[in-house]
Amino acid sequence: MTAPTPPRPSFAHASEAELARILDFYDVRWAYEPDTFPIGWNLDGDVVESFSPDFYLPDLELYVELTTLKQKLVRKKNRKLRRLRELYPDVRIKLFYARDFRALLLKFGRLALVDELTGTTGQATPPRTIAMNEPLGPAPALATLDIERAATPAAEAPELASGDPALTPRGRRRGRRRRGRMADAAVVTAAGGATEVDDRPNP
Amino acid sequence: MTRTADLQGDIGDILLTEEEIAAKVAELGRRIAADYAGRSLTLVSVLKGSLPFMADLMRQIPLPLRIDLMEVSSYGGAATESSGLVRILKDLSASIADEDVLLVEDIIDTGLTLNYLVRYLRGKNPASLRICTLLDKPARRLVDIPVDYVGFEIPDQFVVGYGLDYGEQYRNLRFVGVLRPEVYTPAD
Repeated sequence: MTAPTPPRPSFAHASEAELARILDFYDVRWAYEPDTFPIGWNLDGDVVESFSPDFYLPDLELYVELTTLKQKLVRKKNRKLRRLRELYPDVRIKLFYARDFRALLLKFGRLALVDELTGTTGQATPPRTIAMNEPLGPAPALATLDIERAATPAAEAPELASGDPALTPRGRRRGRRRRGRMADAAVVTAAGGATEVDDRPNP
Repeated sequence: MTRTADLQGDIGDILLTEEEIAAKVAELGRRIAADYAGRSLTLVSVLKGSLPFMADLMRQIPLPLRIDLMEVSSYGGAATESSGLVRILKDLSASIADEDVLLVEDIIDTGLTLNYLVRYLRGKNPASLRICTLLDKPARRLVDIPVDYVGFEIPDQFVVGYGLDYGEQYRNLRFVGVLRPEVYTPAD
């Protein structure tokens, strides 16, 4: 008997759904928006700004943020990302820009999708509650001719959910720990903001 | 797709000349031969893009060695949803258990395919497993995997030639070049 496939999350953007399919294809486990990192507080210590990376890849201990916005609209996200890296230096995060995603689709011969998925004026992200216990994406068995899965990482824990301690992202724990310690610095952040911007050209 | 009949005409800039590639392959061969001196080696190449590199590299390694070839399916979006997973289209033809294995790749960008292959090959219990790539595009890296031998680190551009293709074309170019965007950009 096989375990039921976890329900697919409701992706905020079609590009996220496409990336999830790509990760599934290459047997890379993922969780969709499992963690929210506070990055700005007001003088009362209340969180006034946070950042929820789109994906967490537990086997790689890596967050992935996918943005298909036009470059001029990416600045706000770049600022948030820079702030996240300042506050949580141990958190590994990769930002996929529109050009990165375009190149990925080009590599897979899926360029026709580019216009559908990228270059929009903004990701239509409705207000949503972050589901901290949302199941990870499926990690089905490798479809190979002669597979020896015993030694593969995915085989060791193929059906774990993000709530499992073994897969709990470091960032979630560290984020909670850091919140108190970073409160003073964050007041400055909330007032002045981090204005340094990573303005990579988007050809 | 607006590919022309003139393959070389579709290339914007030549990134690596035939001579530069040959010199680098010879250099890689010397390094690999030194590192594996006194041992035998199994080179595993991934079809189809790595073929020219594999063919040239193995002739630059004066050690007892054998070669093997693998082919894996590539992501195709909706067309692959029925299977949903990368598949081994051609598996190894012999065991690599207790062998020193060098995985030979043409290019590493996201690292997704390499990550899958490394996990798969480690499951075959080789004595050692190292990775050699002619081209490395680190700007595209999603999965970080240590690469032992890198020929060239290249910029974030779509390159073809010397085994690398776009739509199964351009593999037979002797150099590595940047494909003109108009070739893969749909005409309005």
